[in-house]
Amino acid sequence: MSDVDLKSVEARTLKAEKEAKLIEEELEKLARGDLSFVSDPQLDKLLSENEKLKHRLAILENAIKAESSKGVSKPKKRPTLITDIMSIEGTICVMDELKNIFAIAIELAYPDLDDPPVVITLSGNNPKFGDYQCNSAMPISQLLKAKNVKTNPREVANNILNKTPSSPLVDKVEVAGAGFLNIYLNRTFAEHVLNCILRFGVKPPPVKRNRIVVDFSSPNIAKEMHVGHLRSTIIGDSICRVLEFLNHDVLRINHLGDWGTQFGMLIAHLQEKFPNYKTHSPPISDLQAFYKESKTRFDEDEEFKKRAYLCVVELQSGNPDYTAAWKLICEVSRQEFQKVYDRLDIKIIDRGESFYQSRMDAVVKELKEKGLLEEDEGRLIMWGSAERTGIPLTIVKSGGGYTYDTSDMATIKQRVEEEKCGRFIYVTDVGQYTHFATIDMCARRAGILKNGLKMEHVGFGVVLGEDKKKFKTRSGDTIKLIDLMDEGLRRALDKLVEKGRDKVLTPEELKLAQEAVAYGCIKYADLSHNRINDYIFSFDKMLDDKGNTAVYLLYALTRIQSISRTAQVSLDALLKEAGKTSIKLTHESEWKLGKVLLRFPDVILKVTGDLFLHSLCEYLYEISSTFTEFYDKCYCVEKDKGGNIVKIFYERLMLCEVTARVMTKCFEILGIKTVSKM
Amino acid sequence: MSPEETIEGFKKIGLSEQKAKETLKNANVTKFLLQILSEVDVQKLQPGVGLLLYHLATKIKPQSVGKLPFICKYIADGRLDSTLRIDAALEYVLSHLNEENVSIKEFEEACGVGIVVTPEQVELAVEKHMAKYKSELLEKRYRFNSGVVMQAVRSDLKWADGKAIKNEVDVQILDLLGPKTEADLAPIPKAEKKAKTSSEISKKSKKEDNKGAASVVDSSEEAVSISELMKKLPFHVPGENFKSDGYIVTPSTKKLLEDHLKITGGKVRTRFPPEPNGILHIGHAKAININFGYAAAHDGICFLRYDDTNPEKEEEKFFIGIKDMVEWLGYTPYKITHSSDYFDQLYEWAVKLIKKELAYVCHQKAEEIKGYNPPPSPWRNRPVEESLHLFEDMKNGKIDEGEATLRMKITLEEGKQDPVAYRIKFKPHHRTGSKWCIYPTYDYTHCLCDSIEHITHSLCTKEFQSRRSSYYWLCNALDIYCPVQWEYGRLNVNYTVVSKRKIAKLIDEGIVNDWDDPRLFTLTALRRRGVPSVAVNAFCAALGVTGAVGAVDPALLDASVRDHLNLTAPRVMVVLDPLKITITNFPSDEVISVTVPDFPNDPDKSSHKVVLDRTLYIEASDFKEQPEKGYRRLTLTQSVGLRHAGYIIKVSKVNKDSSGKVVELECTAESTENAEKPKAFIHWVSQPIGVEVRLYEPLFKHKNPEDPAEVPGGFLSDCRSDTLTISRAYADSSIKGAKVYDKFQFERIGFFSVDPDTDSSNIVFNRTVSLKEDSGK
Repeated sequence: MSDVDLKSVEARTLKAEKEAKLIEEELEKLARGDLSFVSDPQLDKLLSENEKLKHRLAILENAIKAESSKGVSKPKKRPTLITDIMSIEGTICVMDELKNIFAIAIELAYPDLDDPPVVITLSGNNPKFGDYQCNSAMPISQLLKAKNVKTNPREVANNILNKTPSSPLVDKVEVAGAGFLNIYLNRTFAEHVLNCILRFGVKPPPVKRNRIVVDFSSPNIAKEMHVGHLRSTIIGDSICRVLEFLNHDVLRINHLGDWGTQFGMLIAHLQEKFPNYKTHSPPISDLQAFYKESKTRFDEDEEFKKRAYLCVVELQSGNPDYTAAWKLICEVSRQEFQKVYDRLDIKIIDRGESFYQSRMDAVVKELKEKGLLEEDEGRLIMWGSAERTGIPLTIVKSGGGYTYDTSDMATIKQRVEEEKCGRFIYVTDVGQYTHFATIDMCARRAGILKNGLKMEHVGFGVVLGEDKKKFKTRSGDTIKLIDLMDEGLRRALDKLVEKGRDKVLTPEELKLAQEAVAYGCIKYADLSHNRINDYIFSFDKMLDDKGNTAVYLLYALTRIQSISRTAQVSLDALLKEAGKTSIKLTHESEWKLGKVLLRFPDVILKVTGDLFLHSLCEYLYEISSTFTEFYDKCYCVEKDKGGNIVKIFYERLMLCEVTARVMTKCFEILGIKTVSKM
Repeated sequence: MSPEETIEGFKKIGLSEQKAKETLKNANVTKFLLQILSEVDVQKLQPGVGLLLYHLATKIKPQSVGKLPFICKYIADGRLDSTLRIDAALEYVLSHLNEENVSIKEFEEACGVGIVVTPEQVELAVEKHMAKYKSELLEKRYRFNSGVVMQAVRSDLKWADGKAIKNEVDVQILDLLGPKTEADLAPIPKAEKKAKTSSEISKKSKKEDNKGAASVVDSSEEAVSISELMKKLPFHVPGENFKSDGYIVTPSTKKLLEDHLKITGGKVRTRFPPEPNGILHIGHAKAININFGYAAAHDGICFLRYDDTNPEKEEEKFFIGIKDMVEWLGYTPYKITHSSDYFDQLYEWAVKLIKKELAYVCHQKAEEIKGYNPPPSPWRNRPVEESLHLFEDMKNGKIDEGEATLRMKITLEEGKQDPVAYRIKFKPHHRTGSKWCIYPTYDYTHCLCDSIEHITHSLCTKEFQSRRSSYYWLCNALDIYCPVQWEYGRLNVNYTVVSKRKIAKLIDEGIVNDWDDPRLFTLTALRRRGVPSVAVNAFCAALGVTGAVGAVDPALLDASVRDHLNLTAPRVMVVLDPLKITITNFPSDEVISVTVPDFPNDPDKSSHKVVLDRTLYIEASDFKEQPEKGYRRLTLTQSVGLRHAGYIIKVSKVNKDSSGKVVELECTAESTENAEKPKAFIHWVSQPIGVEVRLYEPLFKHKNPEDPAEVPGGFLSDCRSDTLTISRAYADSSIKGAKVYDKFQFERIGFFSVDPDTDSSNIVFNRTVSLKEDSGK
């Protein structure tokens, strides 16, 4: 190739490169939505027109906002911050306090923003990012951009930092990365809180006392309790426990299915099979079988069916004979249920649908008077909204009878007006979500629920077998709860024996451990999963002694509790020692454990808010793992080669004690019994 | 009253027909005089008193009119019997405007009421003072300025009649010197004029160059500095705003001024209020110097206020650039503020104006109210409630752009009616974001921001004189502190354009490179060209603070630059167009070290060393094969001296290339001590380093490139084509390591400054200005 050619090729390449670069730049601008380079007068005109319209829109929106907030102009109440470490008594919610601190900082930095987001999160495991983070800078910078204020998250973060009030909780705050605020907790504060727990025990964070109804378990009379009821029972009980821990007035209600046409059939059958049922309690302990018999007759025998309907009428009109029969049947059922409740340590007040019979009449009358009921092919229905969307409730059937909808309306009315509750929690499977949503809307329409009161539906998924199909016995029958629990006991014992615990523990201790493990693992397996999801019931998994299981955690707790024991330091001695010295979080793993323990009130308040108990389980597991890390790195008791105690680190024993207390409290809330040895 | 009747009335107090007619043309004097006439009983006036009243009418300031009847009474009954006393009375009244009641005792004392000066007293006093000047009198005779004597007498005898004093002085001088001789009548020999412009100073300092540094310092002391200039300005003292012409005194003035003084502590407060949407140019340098300079000269403070009422795209670089330039000129703002800081307050005040029925919402279109004599607004008298409501709608974005404005009910001097205070613009603002869609105008904002900042002297250019009345009106309408506006003439420079748009056009067209291209007159351009800020300030000082709008030739700035650089920029030798010289009889085996003084006028100051080697370079133009007559430098037969080196060279051989161009001279050298004195010394370099030199020429051919009469094709057509020459020059190596903006005088060439384009491998010089005299014969 000649030089000339080479040169011309080079020139062409250079030119092409230049053009490519220009196109690249153009593309980049296009990607940014920057069209300024096009310089088409019409486009320019439209762009500027667009800018004007956007600005005008922003102005109008601001004006509307200002206009609508007129009159209601609520003077923003600033939260009071903690200024003195000594005023804290171990029940401080770190997250809440940080939210308060940054809410104030953000308000000071950007007083013109309405409800700027205050986003506080845990920082994760990298100590570089502090203990907590305030991530409000990004959304605020977006808000400002929408208001045409030029800024970037980092600048916003710095502005917030400059306005951040000082707090004894916080050691320092730093701006990092694109605009994160890394918050470092103050160790002195953390040590103080843990010492409080040592001195006063695990106390609930202070909240406003409320009366709360929790509707759970709710099996049907004359039918067997199945695993669905088991979930409702376990979750409902745990919800009650956490609310009770916060000193709320909790009304545990068992909304039994004890009313309805099936009772006519049962009573008719009872009368005929055991004519002397009034004097002699009939042997119907297998109510399930009794129910099946009568059901067969009901379906096949027209005469019987008629009699059954008559019985219903008699029962509902309050005929004492029929009522007595009904009571008898209910009682049998209840005794069966109670066996389950006893084993699981559940307390609950039975208040079945029958309780609302008269109240149903009243609520129907009320709804009629308010004109909320509509005729629909002989039925009286009620829509959740005036626009008639969704599915309506059937308040009165074409024959004049009531339905579940009617009783649920009467129930919510009773709970609002008679019980004067402030929260209404219903623990049922997720399939009933729509039903309760409709009840909630109708109750709102009817003026029963007002002032922000609402029904909270705590839904849960179905229980699946290990084959991921509906949980059934091998023969395809539904599994009886009692059988399931028996199997649990057996397998728990196997596990303990397998581990050789039977040789270490006394028979009493072994029995306690067996029950704790059996019921604990069933409950924990249920609670440790996100309740919305379906969950697979597997004894093998729940009895695994590794991972996030009750077995592992119960064992971890007994191990922690045994540390003092082997050091031969009694609790009294430890508390006495606490008068002289106190918990110090000097070592990095002590500090890490301390910070986890500090989060207990946060976790509790989160659970009481969203009613998802798995976060408490995760927390419990986190304590246990963090403790292991601590125990690996820090001597609590130093021994020589001969196993003699050389030195006792009392501060660390105290930290062990606080850890054990927090864990015990978590188990308590989960409804799991702890044992001192296993 | 008809004009005729008025004239008759005026004649009654002793005015001639002519004078009366002239007086009638002056509306203010007529108004005052008519008021005076209604105060006194013309029939009973003593002779001569009428003219005193006329004097009163011409001298009284509008703000003192309230006291007119009071003064009239004193004149009518003869207690104020001279213009002297009337002036004193007016002065007293003006100074005490703030007080409700005039203290009669003080007033009479101030006016010398009842004091009688006898001719004997005058005679004695004149005798006394004449004695002091006797010898001078005898020497200068009638050229003696007798005013000093009269002044001295006057200070002794405050209330003596001026005429009486003058007569007495004249008589006594005549007595002393006798009648004027012929010599006395001869024209006065011309006295040496005082240096006034810096070009003259520069000439002078050039002349004095040879005499040594001391005299140069003297001459620079003669130049007016900004500070001296500012101290001489006849502006009011803070707190005495009411003494200035045209100031309006309201019942609140006294209280407001008292509060004002408390806030300011009596200090002068000024502000420099540029719009932050462009780059500062030489015209702004004057504004900066006057505002900052006036404050500095009076131990006051000056704000830098970005006047950002227009929601234009304000670019950060402009904000920073403005501050940079203020600091470059040597000033530090007391505080940096923005007009937009006060948007909330301004809005509140607008609402207040509406409530006081002094402003209204108008729907006339912009084009309707443009131009001369537009129709009055039909909305002028709409109900307050309606205006309030509409104004809020404007603020809330409910009304479209151009559909409504807020207008103030006042007519400006030039006849413009009801200036706009607020208009709708759907544009986000650099600092307030999307908070506002109504933005205040200059007319509305300016005085209010001044008031908020408690500016004492609101200094602005002459164009704003017509806004002064609305300025005062608005402050008073809102019953807030009212600063005093003073105007000065705008500074325009010939042979350039300074408008933002036009410079942008020059950049777009590739005629200049950027906003700081040294051919422009933006402040950044001047800095880049190498103009020292001190020279800019001296230039502004030399122009003074006259009211006249003057266009100034750039040469005047150049002169100021030379004055300064001559004293501060060290000399170096640089050859722009090198011609190689080889010295055949180089007297040394090694190079010879030569000491070059940095300031030849002051050899003791500092110096640097350069080397002289066998090979050296001179300016190609310093050698001519065929010299014209009078050529003083190197020729085939004429030797020339090497500056600073102490050698004289003589051509022994000329080497040419194939085209016949001289490429090298072989020369012999001889020490100056032995050789005959050459006609000239030239600069040279040996073992030089290469540097880039950028030479600039004026950008425009005509004085006023923007004037269509002068340049019909528009300013772009007036640009010269070759205004930038870049050449590689040889510089003596002492220049190595020069930093950006370091300044040098290139021996025999001019003043140069290191350009920011300089990097470690290449030093770039801009020619700041050439030496005034030609590089010589």
